[in-house]
Amino acid sequence: MKTVEKHQHMDTPEIAARSVGARVLRSEDPRLLSGRGQFIADIELPGQLHVAFVRSPVAHARITHIDLSAVRDAEGVHLAWSGADAAQFCEGLVGEFAVEGCNPTTMPLLATDEVLYVGEPIAVVVAETRYAAEDACELLDWDFEELPAVVNADAAAAGVGVANPQLPDNFGLRGGASFGDVAGAFEQAHQIVEGRFYTCRVSAAPMETRGVIADYEWASKSLRVWSNTQMPHFLRYMLTAYLGFPEQNVEVITPDTGGGFGQKAHVYPEEMLLPLLAREVDRPVKWIEDRRENLMAGAHAHEQYVDIAYALDATGKITAVRTHALGDGGAYHAPPWSMAVEPWCAVVMTPTGLYDAPAAEYTYAAVATNKTPVGAYRGVGYMAGTFARECLADEAARATGMSPFEFRRHNVVPEFPWTNPQGIVYDEGSWRESIDVLESMVDYPAFLQRQAELRAQGRYIGLGLSFFVESSGESTAGSQEHGLGDVYHDTATVRLSPNGTAHVTIGLSAQGQGLATTMAQMAADTLGVRVEDVIVETARSTSHAYGSGTIGSRGAVIAGGAVSRAAGVVREKIRAVAANLLEAAVDDVDLVDGNASVKGAPDTSISIAEVATAIYFDMSSWPEDFDPVLEATQAYDTARAMFSNGAHAMVVELDPETGFVRFEKVFSVEDCGTVINPNIVEGQIRGGVVQGIGASVFEELAYDESGQLLTTTFLDYGIPTMDVSPPFEIHHIETPSKHSASGVKGMGESGLIAAPAAVLNAVNDALTPFGVVLRELPLSPEKIRAAMSGATESAAPQVVAP
Amino acid sequence: MKAAKFKYVAPRSLEEALGHLGSDPDAKVLSGGQSLMPLLAMRLAAPSVLVDLQHVPGLNAIEDIDNAVRIGARVTHRAVEHSELVARRVPILSLAARHIAHPQIRSRGTFGGSTAHADPSGEWPTVLLAVGATMHLQGAAGRRDVHADDFFVGPFTSSMEPAEILTQVSVPATWDRWSFQEAAVKAGDYGLALVAAVASVENDTITDARVSVGAAVGSVTRLREVEQLLIGAAPDLNTAERAARVATDSVKPISDIHGSSDYRRNLVGSLVKRAIVELKNGA
Repeated sequence: MKTVEKHQHMDTPEIAARSVGARVLRSEDPRLLSGRGQFIADIELPGQLHVAFVRSPVAHARITHIDLSAVRDAEGVHLAWSGADAAQFCEGLVGEFAVEGCNPTTMPLLATDEVLYVGEPIAVVVAETRYAAEDACELLDWDFEELPAVVNADAAAAGVGVANPQLPDNFGLRGGASFGDVAGAFEQAHQIVEGRFYTCRVSAAPMETRGVIADYEWASKSLRVWSNTQMPHFLRYMLTAYLGFPEQNVEVITPDTGGGFGQKAHVYPEEMLLPLLAREVDRPVKWIEDRRENLMAGAHAHEQYVDIAYALDATGKITAVRTHALGDGGAYHAPPWSMAVEPWCAVVMTPTGLYDAPAAEYTYAAVATNKTPVGAYRGVGYMAGTFARECLADEAARATGMSPFEFRRHNVVPEFPWTNPQGIVYDEGSWRESIDVLESMVDYPAFLQRQAELRAQGRYIGLGLSFFVESSGESTAGSQEHGLGDVYHDTATVRLSPNGTAHVTIGLSAQGQGLATTMAQMAADTLGVRVEDVIVETARSTSHAYGSGTIGSRGAVIAGGAVSRAAGVVREKIRAVAANLLEAAVDDVDLVDGNASVKGAPDTSISIAEVATAIYFDMSSWPEDFDPVLEATQAYDTARAMFSNGAHAMVVELDPETGFVRFEKVFSVEDCGTVINPNIVEGQIRGGVVQGIGASVFEELAYDESGQLLTTTFLDYGIPTMDVSPPFEIHHIETPSKHSASGVKGMGESGLIAAPAAVLNAVNDALTPFGVVLRELPLSPEKIRAAMSGATESAAPQVVAP
Repeated sequence: MKAAKFKYVAPRSLEEALGHLGSDPDAKVLSGGQSLMPLLAMRLAAPSVLVDLQHVPGLNAIEDIDNAVRIGARVTHRAVEHSELVARRVPILSLAARHIAHPQIRSRGTFGGSTAHADPSGEWPTVLLAVGATMHLQGAAGRRDVHADDFFVGPFTSSMEPAEILTQVSVPATWDRWSFQEAAVKAGDYGLALVAAVASVENDTITDARVSVGAAVGSVTRLREVEQLLIGAAPDLNTAERAARVATDSVKPISDIHGSSDYRRNLVGSLVKRAIVELKNGA
C-alpha cells in the first residue's frame, strides 16, 4: 500500500506528561449533567417557522399523482414542496465510494417518481408551528401504485426484482482481491473451518435525534445553518457544492450534541432542504427529527452477511483466510460513505485481525433493497468483520481442541512491525500480551470449574472472547493504507492570555466524548500550565478551526496533535522570553507545573503567568526581533496509519425457560497507546460495549415481507438500559504510537467493534451442552430458548475435510 | 409527532366531568396520560376534548375497607408501589407495581387510567382479573359496580360506557397466597408474558384459586383449566409442573416480532410454574 509523504504538520513537540494520564474530571459535566447544555431543539430564533415532512408509508411505489393545494391552503402554512419543487434547486445527493466496482446513486431531496423505502421524504411543509405543519401534512393529496419490494439481500443479489431503477442489477458495489496463494492453502489445508455470520439491521439511536435550523439573510447573502452534524466543515462544503451558497457566506453551527455514533456523520436531504426553505420563506426554519423519523430515516446500520473460512494446517495454524461480505445497503448510497461502509470495510480491514495469516482473499458486494439507506455506525464494517473473524476463531478452537485463548496465542502475530497479506503495516501493538492479560483477568481454570458445577445444577453460563485491532485516528495515511485516497487534517488555535491561562479552539464538534477535557490536558502539558487554566471550545462554528469530522476514532489523535502543535508554537515564545528574563539559554528552559525553570537550577524560575504578563505589557522582557503574538493555529495529520488493539471477555448466563441472556461480567483490555484520561477511555469502552450488547441481543430494525418497518418506537426497538449492563473490569496496556502527539491512539469505536463477537461466543459457549452453534444476530429470547430446547436444527461447527 | 388539535378541560367535580363526557361522544378522560398522550402524539387517537381528572376530588385515596383495599382511580402506580397498606393487605399489587414501566412513568401514570385503558400487556388488568377486583364506575345515571370478569372484554376494551368514569377499584384482601410473574427482556419493557395467581389454602390444600395471563394474549385472560387443576391440589412443585403443562396446552397466545405464539405458549407455562412454586413458598 502507498504511504503518505512526510509533511511539517505531522511532527508534534515532545513534552513532559503532567495531566496527560490523570483521571481529570470532565469539564463538560457540570453543565451537561445539570441540564445546562444547549442542544439544537433549545435554540429559538426570532420569527422562526417549523418544518415537517411527509414520508412514504410504503416501501416501493410509483407516485402517480401529487397535489399540494390543500396543504398550501391549510392554516398557518407558509410553503409546501414536493419532489419536483426541490429538484429545481438540487437533483439530489450523489452517493459513491472510490473503490473498484462502485455504482453511484443519486438520492433526491424529496422523492419524485418513485419512493424506495418507508420513511423516504416525499413532501415538506413550512408552517407557523410544528403542530400546524403536521396537521397540513395529513392533507397531502397523492396516489401511488405499489411496486414489488426487494427486502432481502440474497434475493437482491440474485436479481429478484429491482429496488432502485438506478441500479438495474441491484448491485451498488462489487469487487474483490486476493493476496498470496489462497487457493493452494485451502487445497492443502488439514482442515477448513467456515461459517456465515449475520449482523442484523440496527440504528445508532443517539439519545438526541437529528435537527437542522437554517437562517438566510438576503441583504448580506449569508446563510447560517445549525446542525448537530459530526462534520460541520464538510456540510458547509456540501451546501456550497450542491446548492451554490457562496462558501464564505455559509456558517455551520454545531450546538451541544447528544450522541452521533456515525449516524450524524452523513449529509442528509433534510440538511440540504432547510437552507433552501429558509431562503424561500425569508424566515428562519427549524426541523427537529422525532424518534419515529429517526428510526425510519436516520441512517440504518450493520446489516450484512459475512462468509468467512480459515484454512488450518495440522498444528491448527491459519494458513489462509477467505472472506465474502454481502451488505444490505438499503435504497441509496448514503453520502458520503455509501453502501461500502459495511461490506467493503469488513473484508478489507478486518479478516486477519491479530492473526498471522500469510494469505488472504476477499470479495465484497452491497445490494440495494427497499429499506432505509445503511450508513456509518461506530466502527463501520469493523464490527461485522470482527464478529465473523472472532466467532470463527472460537469455532476453530473447538475444532482443533484448543482453548479459545490457546488457539489465539497459537496464531497471534509474533513480532512488529507486521505487514499483513494485503500490505497493511502494523507498527506496534500488544496483541500477544492482551491474550495473556485477559486470560489471567478471567481466571480461566476457575471459570471452567464454575461452569461445570453450574451445568450440573441446570444452569448455563458461557465465556466469550473477542480480540480487536482498530484502525484509529482516521487520517490521510490511514486512508491510503486501506487503498483509499481521502485527505484529512484538522487545525487548532491556542492563545495564551496575559494571566497565563490558555484558550483553545479545535475543529471538531463534540457529541459527548469529553473532547474539551482531553484537549485541555494536551494543551496544559505542552504549555506547562495547570489543566484548570485551559479552556477548550470544541467546534461550535465553522468560523473557527478547521476539522475533517469527529469520526473514525480520530478526535484524541488528530485534534490532540493539532492542539499540541499549536501549543508548541506558543510554548517556544514563552521559553524565549523566560530565557531572556532568567538569563539562561532557551534550550535550558523547561515549562512544567506553571513555571519556567532552568534545567539543573530549579531555584532559577519564573511563573508562566509572569512571563505572559511580561510579553503583553513589558517590552523590556522581549528578546531581539520578538513577535509578541501568543496565539498560534497549526494543522495536524498523522504520518502513518495507526492501530489500537485490545479484547473483551464476556460472561453470560442463559435462562432455558425464557431464553433471556443475562450479562454477568465484562473483562476488557484496551491498548490505545498513551491514555490521556482513563475515565474517558473507560467511558468509551463501557458505552461501546453496551451498544454491542444491544446490537447483539436487544436491537433489530425489523421489516415485514412488504418492506414495512415494524420498529418505529422504543416500544418495539429495544435499546439496552442500565439494568442489562454488566459490571466491567478494565485493564490498560500502553503501547505508545511513535507518530502521534504523546503517543496517543484512538479508541472510540472498539467497544462496539468487538463486543458482539464476545456476546455470541459466550452464548455459544453456554449452549455447548445443547450441541447448537448460533451465527445470526439478534440473539432473541426465542432463538435462545429454541436452541436450549432442542428445537434448533443441529448446527455443529462446520468442519470440512478438504 | 405532535397531536392533532383537541380541547382541554379540567373540571372541579365528578358531575362536571361526566357532563363533558355526556355532551361529546369524542371526549376522552385524561388521568396520568402515560398511555393516552403517546397515542395522541402518534395521531393514533384524536379525541375532540380531553377531560382531565386531576382536580376532581375523591379519587386519590387508598382505603382499608372490610375485606378489601379500595384504591382511587387517580392514585399513581408509585403510590401503590410504596403503600404500606397495599403491601400488608394485597401484596400482589406491590409486586406487580415494580414491573410497570420506569419510575418516572410510575410517578405520573395512574392506577385507574391503566385499568380503564385495558391494555392486554398491562400489569393492573392482569392482576385485577386474577384477584377478582370490583370496578366502581360513575355515570350520569348513577354508580355501578363491575366485576373484573365482566370488565376486561377485549384488547384495549372494557365494558365501561363512553360516558362513564372509573372512580375506584376494590381489591379483595381475602386471598391467602399471591404471586406475580413477568418475563420482560429489560426492566421497564412491556412483558412478553405476565401471570398473576392467587389462592386460598387450608390444611395444605388449595381451596380456591384464580390465575390470569397478560401480554402473551390478545386480552387479559383467566386460565380456567389451570384454576380447576389447582383447586383441591397441594401447592407443591408437582402441582406447579402439572399446572404449567395445562397452561401451555390451553393458552392461546399471540405472535409478533417479539415472540411467536409457540414461544409465548412455553413462556406462559414457565411463568405459571414459577407462580405456583411461589404460591407454595409464599404465605
